[in-house]
Amino acid sequence: MSNHVTEWLNAYLDGELKGRQLHQVEEHLASCEACQTELDTLQGLSSLLQEVHAPTLVSHERFVSQVNLRLPERRAKETKDSSIGFGWWLIPVGLLAAWIFISTTTIVSDMVTVANNFGLLDQTTASFVSSPANTNEWTATLGQVGVLNGKGLQWAERSESYTRDVLPQFVWQGAIAFLYLAWIAISWARHTRQVNGQLLEG
Amino acid sequence: MTVSTANEAQLIAQAQKGNRNAFSELVRVHAQGVLNVVYHMCGDMLIAEDAAQETFIRAWQKLPSYRPQTPLRNWLYRIAFNAGMDMIRKNKRILPDDINDLPLTDGQPGLEMLVAQQEKTKLVQNAILSLPDASRAVLVLREYEGLSYQEISSTLDIPVGTVMSRLNYARNLLKSKLKPQLSLLEAEHV
Repeated sequence: MSNHVTEWLNAYLDGELKGRQLHQVEEHLASCEACQTELDTLQGLSSLLQEVHAPTLVSHERFVSQVNLRLPERRAKETKDSSIGFGWWLIPVGLLAAWIFISTTTIVSDMVTVANNFGLLDQTTASFVSSPANTNEWTATLGQVGVLNGKGLQWAERSESYTRDVLPQFVWQGAIAFLYLAWIAISWARHTRQVNGQLLEG
Repeated sequence: MTVSTANEAQLIAQAQKGNRNAFSELVRVHAQGVLNVVYHMCGDMLIAEDAAQETFIRAWQKLPSYRPQTPLRNWLYRIAFNAGMDMIRKNKRILPDDINDLPLTDGQPGLEMLVAQQEKTKLVQNAILSLPDASRAVLVLREYEGLSYQEISSTLDIPVGTVMSRLNYARNLLKSKLKPQLSLLEAEHV
């Protein structure tokens, strides 16, 4: 009989096979004497190994006291760890707070500017709102030099004005998002290192 | 000696805060399992007991960083394996005991049987001890501690495929080393 299942016999003996694989091995064993003999040998080996017993601890109490006597003082590392842990969790909270603060400031600033444009603010309040400077310096220069004119100049002015308004928002939101993602990545790396450390330590 | 999972989790939490009594309770629960592992790794009771103690001392030091995703037993076995290997390196000669060290018989049938049994056990033990360390560790965790392939994989931090290949290798080697004993065993069952 070809296609022997010898390589799966250990896993079969240890109860590690499931589903189709288990069915295949069982089916094969029913019709293959060589594999059945091999399985019997493995079972024999297993029972032979069971004849070696580790000695039973005579006294658990004696063992426990001996371990106790040898236990060193544990280094006072926990407080430091917990303070680092607390500071670590403050980072995303701080980033969120910064995001809320800058967003609110921007929205309020925009609202005040709009209100001022519509003349809804009195004289005193309006004096606090800076009048929009000539924001299209670059396009104005290019227009004066004669590089741009007509529709091209108008389009460039609109683009510059839009970029000047929107770009800072992209930059600071991008910076906060970047810092937050970096924090997640470092947290994940620390967690993985801790789990691996547990597995590898000793 | 067993302790419920919830109880063990409590004991671990207390021991992590430095409670020695809670740790002693954990030692009491896991002492025999750890001893089994190191004994089968090194084959010498005195060295095994030393290695088992060393295991718990290391565990005490590392306990603050222990996370319950790994069962404590498997975590301890990992430390026990390393402690056992260190002891073997330190004590150099552990392998294998001389069969001639066994007591002589006076021709009494009962005693003869006992000695024959001891001799067989010693042969099996020597065969186990002659395996490469990596294969021996997998074999011990499977045969004597009954860990699943997945548990062995996480305990020794190796892929399940490697667990399977090391186990196959160890068993094939043992089959050839213990051929006469296995033939005798087969003959007894026929």
